[in-house]
Amino acid sequence: MSDTWFERDPLWFKRAVFYEIHIRGFFDGNDDGSGDFRGLIEKLDYLEWLGVDCIWLLPMYESPLRDGGYDISNFFAIHADYGAVDDFRNFVEQAHQRGMRVIADLVMNHTSSDHPWFQESRSDPKGPRGDWYVWSDTDERYPDARVIFIDSEPSNWTFDPLRGQYYWHRFFHHQPDLNFDNPEVQEAMLGVLRFWLDLGIDGFRLDAVPYLFEREGTEGENLPETHAYLKRVREEVDARYPDRVLLAEANQWPEDVVEYFGDGDECHMAFHFPVMPRMFMAARREDATPIYEILDRTPQIPDNCQWGLFLRNHDELTLEMVTDEERDYMYDEYAKDPRMKLNLGIRRRLAPLLDAGMDEMQLLHAILFSLPGSPVLYYGDEIGMGDNVYLGDRDGVRTPMHWSGDRNAGFSRADWAQLYLQPLMDPVYGFQAVNVEAQLRTPTSILRWLQRFIALRKEHPVFGLGSYTPLRSDNSRIFAHIRAWEEDTVLCVHNLARSAQAVQLDLAPYAGMVPVEMLGQTAFPPIGELPYLLTLAPRGFFWFQLRQDA
Amino acid sequence: MSTFDENALIEYVTRQRWYGAKSRTVSHSEILDAIDVRTAERPLALALVELRYDTGAHDLYQLLVSGREEGILFDGLADNPGSARELVSAMRTGSTLQGSQGVVEFRPAQDLSALTRELGSARLVGSDQSNSSVVFDDALILKLFRRLEPGINPELELLRFLGEHGFRHIPALGGWYSYSGAPLAATLGLLQEYLVDGVDGWELTLDEIASAPERSLDRLGRLGEVTGQMHTVLGSDVNDPAFAPEEPSVESLGLLTATVDEEIARVFLSLPEDDERIAPILGRGEEVREQLRLLTHAGSTGRVIRTHGDYHLGQTLVSGTDWVVLDFEGEPARTLVERRRKRSPLRDVAGMLRSFAYAATAAELERGAEGVEEWEQRARDRFLESYLDTVDPTLLPSGEAAIERLLAVFELEKAVYELRYELDNRPDWVRIPVAGIERLMRQAAEAT
Repeated sequence: MSDTWFERDPLWFKRAVFYEIHIRGFFDGNDDGSGDFRGLIEKLDYLEWLGVDCIWLLPMYESPLRDGGYDISNFFAIHADYGAVDDFRNFVEQAHQRGMRVIADLVMNHTSSDHPWFQESRSDPKGPRGDWYVWSDTDERYPDARVIFIDSEPSNWTFDPLRGQYYWHRFFHHQPDLNFDNPEVQEAMLGVLRFWLDLGIDGFRLDAVPYLFEREGTEGENLPETHAYLKRVREEVDARYPDRVLLAEANQWPEDVVEYFGDGDECHMAFHFPVMPRMFMAARREDATPIYEILDRTPQIPDNCQWGLFLRNHDELTLEMVTDEERDYMYDEYAKDPRMKLNLGIRRRLAPLLDAGMDEMQLLHAILFSLPGSPVLYYGDEIGMGDNVYLGDRDGVRTPMHWSGDRNAGFSRADWAQLYLQPLMDPVYGFQAVNVEAQLRTPTSILRWLQRFIALRKEHPVFGLGSYTPLRSDNSRIFAHIRAWEEDTVLCVHNLARSAQAVQLDLAPYAGMVPVEMLGQTAFPPIGELPYLLTLAPRGFFWFQLRQDA
Repeated sequence: MSTFDENALIEYVTRQRWYGAKSRTVSHSEILDAIDVRTAERPLALALVELRYDTGAHDLYQLLVSGREEGILFDGLADNPGSARELVSAMRTGSTLQGSQGVVEFRPAQDLSALTRELGSARLVGSDQSNSSVVFDDALILKLFRRLEPGINPELELLRFLGEHGFRHIPALGGWYSYSGAPLAATLGLLQEYLVDGVDGWELTLDEIASAPERSLDRLGRLGEVTGQMHTVLGSDVNDPAFAPEEPSVESLGLLTATVDEEIARVFLSLPEDDERIAPILGRGEEVREQLRLLTHAGSTGRVIRTHGDYHLGQTLVSGTDWVVLDFEGEPARTLVERRRKRSPLRDVAGMLRSFAYAATAAELERGAEGVEEWEQRARDRFLESYLDTVDPTLLPSGEAAIERLLAVFELEKAVYELRYELDNRPDWVRIPVAGIERLMRQAAEAT
């Protein structure tokens, strides 16, 4: 396997565009109504065309699927609906052949309650797995740890009548937390990582990573023990599996998240959660301040690390990392229907959040792509797919991909009723209107625009590797900044307002240079000593390369 | 090999013609493996050298090292091309040599008479961007791949397959050698028959357009037949996964259209406005894109097979009275995986038809030929007619109209690429792709 994929490029993830896939919803290769690895292989040409560098797979392991597969019941097997380990191996090889890498979700914090480890632990407290989970005679330990799934779980403790003790779970009660204080658990989890790395996988998105350890008198998040264990994982990966990447899911404030980079010796990447709601907030308020502020608040990270940035993902648009006031604002503006709320968030896709506005979708992608970090796209958002808020939990944003206007949206040849979820049928977002085939043919579609835009970003490594300098101006509706790396200097100016705006930018340090608009290669007047005046269309943006000569 | 001067190695490799990353800064180099080919008084070794850069993926190069003095390496080929004889004798005996990280396997392809006798003269012939070649006795040519990519080289793969399946219009394969080990598994080089009497197909066509146009048309008719046979053979083995014809994915036509469409938009965006030669198509970008959309609106795309990949008159020889097809490496700028990808055979056909357009203009400019436009049209007709009579029709879209449409899409793709290339490099040739695009627009308008 690795003999055909040997490109050693330690910082590949800093220049990469990621694409997140819900395997069940992507393409059905065996006509059973549910997406699978065979189907995924058939769509790799599409992803290559789009410009994807790395595919991120949602959990693919054996699971009773009470939490979308984040409840793993066997770490060493693929869920039967998706195929088998050989199909996975084949998929990774086919992706590599097209120059794309693959990372997958891995949940280290907990297992499904169906996992044989848990069943052994509860039935045989003195047995070899008796101490693999966090058991207690009372439900009063670790009272400072918040409940995360407030809509469904009253407590982090649940009583197990069989063992006669409470077990600890930071998420659903059917997801008992593993006891990472037990060295055998630590070793077992390293064994899981090795198994998939040996199959050729390029890394992991580590789910729910802040919660591995529990300590009295703490919130049980981001503990030193957790960081120590992650460093051990990194050491193991660096030693035996070069060029793989660990991506931390730590829904925390940036100053806490940077801890997950260590000194460049812990996780390679971490998601920047708080920037995401602020992009939506800025668009709705027509004010760039929230974006500037959160970036000002974002500490420097080691050179060999990178932020993962996204607009939407498979979860709700999480509002944990905002103030109460900001949350109320977001609910008011983006979740008029209470059905749209879930836990502390809004369960909607990108297009419906933006009322399918083409300018808005382009603007938010432009901001996302201009920020220091690697963008992560969510399947379906590249065609502006809609959601179904009437489906339970987060299923509304996990419906089948719309490939064409054919039966079942071209997603599956199974019977309509057999599909795991039905494709959208409403007049605005239905698959007759919104699908890959139609958008491929339409040069003005969001899909074709995004493909061009991804190509543009990838022509300029500055977006992945360069420095970030905010450019504040008198006009708070404008988000402007400079990215620079080696010879490449790029000026990005975004208008968050629904109306045309003028802005004067202080570009004195670049006097004499010529801004060349990057999409159309048009040279603008050279920069002088006076403030540089730009006018922008409603929700418009400009990306300029600053050149010494036009 | 254990000690060497890293800077001298970087200095040496980056000076070579075949070094491909001239704009990048090398941060580090290392000999990953060295395999002794001869240990006697004049030692000779194969070395795999890795160059790493500040950013981006590393590169691997093959060196043939004939000696070392104060840490400085000497290239065995430049030094003494005859040293490459050692590689041929290793092929003859089918040796396997051990390195520290892997093995090099030398293998003979078949009982090629030239291979069984001792080799005499050896000369280095023009090395190009990706490899170096040595010709022995005007009978055999050894090609060393310099920049290595993991996987089997398509030239070796196609020559073997075509030879084994009885396609005779290729130079016979003599043998090859390849490395497999921890750093990678890759083809290092191959030995082929050298056709000393072969006449370059491009030059011959130019001459004949001027001096004997009817003869050239007969020849190109024959080339259509040979091409049809080649594709039929390439699509004939359903049991070999590397060659079995496949149905293209549902999106393939849409993805192709979108890609070509973007390219048209980009090229037309940057067309110079004051160039007379461009006048016939200037400002008609939207029209071209509209035609493309009409061409691809519906219709099947046939099956995809392994193809030549970079097919034009410059890749052919006339040896004796018949055609020989050369150079199955594919487009050098593409990755090995891309070059091995299955595609519609009509892509090769489009490449050849575009090369007729170039030949017509070149014959006019360089040989003073007349009536070249009519010649081009007749050459296209002759080639296509005999091609379609010969090729396995199940590989192509069904129906003449669908074939014409898909062919037009591939020709448009090529012509747009040519337009950009000629604008940047050879402004005098710009009128060739301009005429090609114009004709395709006319043709599409008639067909729809």
